[in-house]
Amino acid sequence: MKRIRSVFVLVFVAAAVLLSTATAQVTIGILSPLTGGAAGTGQAQKEGFELALKEINAAGGVLGKPLKLIYADTQANPKVAVAAFEKLMTEDNVQFIGGGYSSGVTLALVESFKTFQPLVSWIGGAVSGVGIDNFQGIEELLGNEPWFFHVHPWDYQNTEASTQFIADSGVKTVALLHEDSAFGGPGSQAAQKLLEDAGLNVVLNEAFKSTLFGGTGDFRAAISKAAATKADMLYWIGYDSDVVPMISQIRELNYTPQQIFGAPPGWPSDFAKAPEAQCVTGLIGFMPNLPTPEAMAFTKSFEAMFDKAPDNYMSALAYAQLWSYADSINKAGTTDQAAVIKAMESLTFKSPMGPWKFHDSQITHHQGFGADMWLVFQYQNGVRQIVWPTAKATAPLQSCQASR
Amino acid sequence: MRRALPDVLWTLALAIVAALAPTLLKAGFDQASVSYLSLASNAMSLGILALSWDLLARTGQLSLAHAAFYGAGAYAAAVLANATGVPIVLALPLGGLVAGLLALGLGSVTLRLKGIYFAIATLAFTEVLKAVVQELPTGLAGGAAGLNVPPLFRPHFVPGQMQRWEIAFQRNEAYFYVYAALLVLTIAVSIVVQRTRLRAAFTAVRTNEAVAAVMGVRPARAKLLAFVLSSALVGMLGALEAMRLGSVIPDGTFAISTTVFALVTPIFGGLYTTLGPILGAGVLSAVEETLKRTFAEGYLIGYGVVLVASILFMPRGLVGLATRLRRRRGGSGTPAAGDAEGPA
Amino acid sequence: MDPTLVLQGLVSGVLAAGLYALVSVGLALAIGVIGVINFAHGEFFMIGAFLAYQLFVSFGFDPLLSLIFVAPALFVIGAIVYRSTIRYVLEAPELNQMLLTFGLSIIFQNLALLIWGGDPRSISGVPYRSIGVQLGGISIGLVPLGSFVISLVLVLALYVGLARTRLGRAMRAVAQNRVGASLVGLEVDRIYLVAFALSALLAGIGGVMIAVIQSPTPTVGFAFTLKAFAIVVLAGLGNIRGILWASLAVAVSESMVATLVPNGDALRNAVFFAIIFIVLVGRAWRRA
Repeated sequence: MKRIRSVFVLVFVAAAVLLSTATAQVTIGILSPLTGGAAGTGQAQKEGFELALKEINAAGGVLGKPLKLIYADTQANPKVAVAAFEKLMTEDNVQFIGGGYSSGVTLALVESFKTFQPLVSWIGGAVSGVGIDNFQGIEELLGNEPWFFHVHPWDYQNTEASTQFIADSGVKTVALLHEDSAFGGPGSQAAQKLLEDAGLNVVLNEAFKSTLFGGTGDFRAAISKAAATKADMLYWIGYDSDVVPMISQIRELNYTPQQIFGAPPGWPSDFAKAPEAQCVTGLIGFMPNLPTPEAMAFTKSFEAMFDKAPDNYMSALAYAQLWSYADSINKAGTTDQAAVIKAMESLTFKSPMGPWKFHDSQITHHQGFGADMWLVFQYQNGVRQIVWPTAKATAPLQSCQASR
Repeated sequence: MRRALPDVLWTLALAIVAALAPTLLKAGFDQASVSYLSLASNAMSLGILALSWDLLARTGQLSLAHAAFYGAGAYAAAVLANATGVPIVLALPLGGLVAGLLALGLGSVTLRLKGIYFAIATLAFTEVLKAVVQELPTGLAGGAAGLNVPPLFRPHFVPGQMQRWEIAFQRNEAYFYVYAALLVLTIAVSIVVQRTRLRAAFTAVRTNEAVAAVMGVRPARAKLLAFVLSSALVGMLGALEAMRLGSVIPDGTFAISTTVFALVTPIFGGLYTTLGPILGAGVLSAVEETLKRTFAEGYLIGYGVVLVASILFMPRGLVGLATRLRRRRGGSGTPAAGDAEGPA
Repeated sequence: MDPTLVLQGLVSGVLAAGLYALVSVGLALAIGVIGVINFAHGEFFMIGAFLAYQLFVSFGFDPLLSLIFVAPALFVIGAIVYRSTIRYVLEAPELNQMLLTFGLSIIFQNLALLIWGGDPRSISGVPYRSIGVQLGGISIGLVPLGSFVISLVLVLALYVGLARTRLGRAMRAVAQNRVGASLVGLEVDRIYLVAFALSALLAGIGGVMIAVIQSPTPTVGFAFTLKAFAIVVLAGLGNIRGILWASLAVAVSESMVATLVPNGDALRNAVFFAIIFIVLVGRAWRRA
């Protein structure tokens, strides 16, 4: 009896071993904030990943097997993120890390990343540290690591795009309002410098408290000060949840600059139909109506899968990130890190934003999207038209004073 | 000092378990021990947070300023760790010192506030301190961007002789011991409070200040002592976590959630006891991690349900439940270590 | 400094007091009558905000019209929450109530995350939002003015209701002396139920207003709740009319600092909580 049982066990173990080698599939660990205050971003990333995963596996998977994703929720909390990353490394034994958001989380992960040195492709955490004294940002801390790839543009690239648009828009004077946390504080200093270098006159640089960090959304004092300057443009740096109070209060206080331009990470999806949105411009990473074949295909499949438009550009970035992994590993023909890194460095990938490849930025050689990813849209009669850069525009930029 | 011996034995036993835990985890789980150590450190962090808050609560002061002292300790450590020529280890006591002094100041002015008035005043203090720290010169406190904080431990990787996960293990093991030491210190302070005349003093101040005064207790001194002890401990925790997490930033380091968990955990585990907050931290951490690993989305709903159910069915927390069960079984009849006397 | 700017700051501050009073009045009822410290009050705002959003998306209802549905819905939700949980911790220490309501707030927030997701939404058709009446260079926003009037009406109605109606007198009796109230034949549990449900209803109205001026998100209620707690305490527990004065004091101070100090708008929370802190501490020392 005992012998029979041990034979069974042996057969079972052998079968398990065989089965596991037969189905050995490439696994990518995803670190995203799926709950908590940044859950909107994490969910958007997850939707991009799910769509890419479906397409990748339909196209034959990775190294001939279906690709597998393991999500690990960071809650946008540094402590949780470190344990979640370690679990991916030591319990799930993943070799590849994707996802990525929040600079605080990324800073906490630096030591752990450097310890395990998996291949990390990281979407966000845009705080490069470049240009801020006494502070080491993510590009400064990780930019020289051969295994670190960064997908989202850095803060200075965001500012570069904004500045370029403002200069192109024809305004002369700019009133700058910024939220006062780690995003808008250093961001506004960099923006002011670049704008002045471009010959523009920054007549005001004033802080406000974002609704994301305990503010109750009253920006009237800052807007009143901006209105008093009569600047041609109101340029504001804040978060998604600041859009509605900011724009409606600009209207309420009867401030009518030529341009109202904002650079939050995202925009409320149904704001386009709001009357106060008319003529407001915004910086954005991806637009569902971008008139390129890649964008149209992505938007169509996304809508088919989730029954809504890919309004949050984090979905498009996540989609691009996962495809870059799949293509690189398939090209390398192995999961060997050095080979995959080489493939990632040399390949051009498809993405909803068009073809892209990892290239040089200020420090790293592995920067995914640059300033040229950014688009500027303008709400025009209930539709978000792309107005900048001109090559991708779907409509010309209008002045707010003309449209009144 | 009645029954001091069992306390010392328990604490000693805990210290021994903590001392052996990393080795045992490594033997049992191999590389998976790395993340288990982090989770254990996170749980101990919650335990220190909870027990230090409970110390203050024993005097009836319902503080919503725990995040302020955590943050003050973290920032003090960050500033020191960035200064050249100072041993970084000093950041821990400095964090405790700064937080303790701050508590002495806050405690002195809020002495006469009670109940929710005290709670809201301490909450307001947290918000004001956060704003002040953010407005400090950027050369000192980094302003909105915050400060990098160098790590307390950075083990060296020797290629060929060890695997990568073993460095992570070494680092996590080192942090684990510091957390354990801080936890043991917090427990020791709590036990001293529970086993000396301080306990009667704290309880009297909580239940009835007039009676306390008649008993010869000076309420102001008892309250201030509790405030300083509680805050110094959580200040050291803040300092430790700043070094482990690599940065401080006003909105994250002074997050109200720190305060909320500091008060939720002892209630869940059992207020005014040594065991309760520790047990509460362990169980809540385990529940959250288990739910997280079982359900990908919406797992926090289950966490909320556990909290709601716990208070409905265990109004005196885990420790109260244990005592109730033991009494029902007709056990020894003596209350559990640390005693589960209900809040007045 | 430009005098128009200062005057605008003053006007904005006075009007902003309306929103503060609006979000505080329901909490004042919960704390004042039932003595329950409800950490989940902000989730009633959030639910109210999302319901207004959903009614707009599904049926095109204007938020003002939504009030007719949202307010009773929140009353029912409040009643259910009371019957299923709150009533069991009334006798318990306030800390137990905090743990319970914190658990409830986690449940509601994460349910909302599952239902509506974490991305900010917006009600896209509010004809009166973004409109300011211009008077000699000063702008008076219709929405702030509206919430000012609504909060004034609600606070006075609640004040009169508590003083004059039978239910109101019963509530006050229960608030003052629970045992005594039950001795004279008042159904304490029913009265608490109504008071708690009313508090949720008032939060629902605040939530609809929040949905007008901001984007509904699962965590939208938090900042308002924090400030509402402070205002209720500043007014003094059980002092319903005091809500108006407390709101006015903090809102005007906030707005004036925001206007007069460079980068002042970022200091709003600091000013708000500094006032709360100084007043509470000052009051305690003066009384002694």
